[in-house]
Amino acid sequence: MRGKLAAFFRERAAIGEHEPAMIQGGASFAYVFGSVLVFLLLLEAATGAALAAFYSPSTTDAWGSVAYIQDQASLGWLVRGLHFHGGGAIVVVAGLHLVQTAVSGAYKRPRELVWWLGVLLLVLTLAWAVTGYVLRWDQAGYWANRVELGIAAGTPLVGGKIRDLALGGNEYGNLTLTRFYALHVVLLPALVTILTVAHVALARKHGTTPLRDRPAAPRWPDQSLRDAFAMALTLAILLAYVVNQHGADLAAPADPSQAYDARPLWYFRWLFELRELSGSAEKIVAMVVPAIVGGFLVALPLLDKKPERAARQRTLALGALAGMFALIAALTVMSLVRDSGDAELAKRSEAAQKLADRARMLARANGVPVTGAQDVFSTAPMWKARTIFAQKCSGCHDDKRPKDPKGMAEFKDVKGPYIAPGHGNRAWLKAFLMNPNAPEFWALTKLSKASVKAQANEDAGGNTDKPADKKPDPKKPDPKKPADKKDDKKADDKADDKKSDDLAMPSCCVRKAGPAPVKLEELDDLVELLYSLSGAADADKAKVARGMTVFESGGCDNCHTMNEGGAGAAGPGLGGLGSRDYYTSFISNPKSPIHMTADLSEMPQFNKELSLVDRDAVAAYLLWLRTATKADLDALGPL
Amino acid sequence: MGDKDPPDRRKFLKVATCAMGGGVGLVVAGPVIRLVIDPADKQTVTSPTEPLDLGDARQLTLGAPPTRVEVIAPLVKDAWVASQNVVLGAAWIRRTGADAFDARSAVCPHLGCAVGWDPAANNYLCPCHDSHFGIGGEKLSGPAERGLDKLDLKVVDGRLKLTWARFKAGRSTQEPA
Repeated sequence: MRGKLAAFFRERAAIGEHEPAMIQGGASFAYVFGSVLVFLLLLEAATGAALAAFYSPSTTDAWGSVAYIQDQASLGWLVRGLHFHGGGAIVVVAGLHLVQTAVSGAYKRPRELVWWLGVLLLVLTLAWAVTGYVLRWDQAGYWANRVELGIAAGTPLVGGKIRDLALGGNEYGNLTLTRFYALHVVLLPALVTILTVAHVALARKHGTTPLRDRPAAPRWPDQSLRDAFAMALTLAILLAYVVNQHGADLAAPADPSQAYDARPLWYFRWLFELRELSGSAEKIVAMVVPAIVGGFLVALPLLDKKPERAARQRTLALGALAGMFALIAALTVMSLVRDSGDAELAKRSEAAQKLADRARMLARANGVPVTGAQDVFSTAPMWKARTIFAQKCSGCHDDKRPKDPKGMAEFKDVKGPYIAPGHGNRAWLKAFLMNPNAPEFWALTKLSKASVKAQANEDAGGNTDKPADKKPDPKKPDPKKPADKKDDKKADDKADDKKSDDLAMPSCCVRKAGPAPVKLEELDDLVELLYSLSGAADADKAKVARGMTVFESGGCDNCHTMNEGGAGAAGPGLGGLGSRDYYTSFISNPKSPIHMTADLSEMPQFNKELSLVDRDAVAAYLLWLRTATKADLDALGPL
Repeated sequence: MGDKDPPDRRKFLKVATCAMGGGVGLVVAGPVIRLVIDPADKQTVTSPTEPLDLGDARQLTLGAPPTRVEVIAPLVKDAWVASQNVVLGAAWIRRTGADAFDARSAVCPHLGCAVGWDPAANNYLCPCHDSHFGIGGEKLSGPAERGLDKLDLKVVDGRLKLTWARFKAGRSTQEPA
């Protein structure tokens, strides 16, 4: 049956019976490199086809699609890793193939053409890698390509044109990617396929150069077995490396404004080092040296023409080749050593890696914005506001201070109320009303007694850094002390009213003077009222109504008003408290009469320092914090 | 190895070669195929499950012909991209009572063309294959196998809230796509 089927197709394909192909001198592991290269090319084709089913060559989408492959598609990292590191493997195996061919003298007449095709294939393979590296459109690929095209642009006469042609115009953009993509997945594969077929066909026609004086052996299965074993071994090593690296790296999205330590792919490192070493001559060196190397390889069969193939009879040719490879290896190692010894570079690389991790985390969580992957940072929820907050606000409002008042001395400069998830929610309001002068609120500000006293001492020449450690001076109220302003409606009696707390705002529940303290059971109603001022939709209307009564009976209205935009008699206006507009207004000018007044507020005005949009962004962030938890905040990731 | 090898040994070599080559092929093909089929069982393009706002309910008057509305999602994640205000499709909505509304997907249940309203005939018409549907969405004539798909439309605080969904085409019953 099988014989019949084979005969059927053999006849239709016009294939006659033929002698099995023989290998002169017997099968050998020395011959496996070509076969392994064909295998690696097929591996690149298969993985490349799969990647092309995901990749999008546009400046806005390229990085996002690669990040999607790497971080979200099943086994995308593995396929991408095999494709990327498979390219490196091709360079290694091609080098071994070249050395084996040269050592055995297989480039000699009549096989020169096979050799030249091989050299051409090597050059095309390297070009293939270059065209592939930019496609990821990350910092690494983008900057490496900028350098490479910069070198190409240095070519006399035609350099500028070459660059513009490759770029697809005057600057990096969408056409750059579509063009490099076309080169990488259409033109170069087609060229390499045609040349590889020609290379292999010609090599087969000439037969292998016999290595030893042994009887010929059939290619199938003697050599095929060795080839298959070498392929399996190559794949095993490649796979182990790719798994170890979890695919290929991916830096942060390409950003022309962000400096980056551009490094070429490792097989171009020697050229990179050569440029470093050659100083002002780098442009010439970058052009001339590759030309010399290529020219030497092309000329080798012409220089080493004598028919002897034994290595020891060809010391000059092989010595030159060995010297060339030794130089390349030495330069490569020098470059790597130079980098690994650079502490500053290590720091920058670490920062770049953090940025990359963050970009990929954000892309995974939120997707990449339509405006492009570089905006993955700024469109992340609350990113802008959190950045401003970290730069402008957390100095005073960080919640890292200890709750224990004793430890607060060292946080003297971190003065303002803590701002953390839950800021302004019911629990927060309740805690504030119960003790506005607690460590997490006003303890270190002018508004609280302890700090007022410390201030008084300082003014008296005490000059201490540690207000909390200072013994409070029991009687002397500070002359310019704000506290007097408030809890009494009768401003004139106030000066003698020594019994009242000298706090800007006493606790609603335990105050000693003024109106009766608010009872605990009434406190929730008051909290609900204040909570409702922000316009929160979930406020309990009945509680709010009761809270209005408490607001009056508790004497809140002696100092405060709830009128929109109004200042209280002796305290901040509460209109719109906790709403976005309120926060924007407060941040713009906390010293406004409707807020804390210039006397009492130690917070700077931000109406000049921050744009209205930025102030509003921070306000929106504060609003978000009200319902957020620590976990929500953590989920936004580090800045 | 050589010509003197016994046939058994040669056969073994051939089998070993094929096994190794096949193994290499499988190891490469496995991840490649897994990656390529990955999107097939994933929701790569998200669709909002929450009701979408269509505006004030008073815009619809009783007895008026159906109104065509675009269904716009505030946020759609499409593979790696997150886009805002994405048009998902269209729906036909009308008031059927004081507090009653009807919404029909404009996606033809036959093969998914966009269904229009024919004011002259006072019924829905699919331009692709001439399926007609009554004002209530019921199938009148043509190749469609069921009436126009009903969508969930509610009124919350005077605003129309539509829940968008797509259904399988070419079935006689409404099944989520």
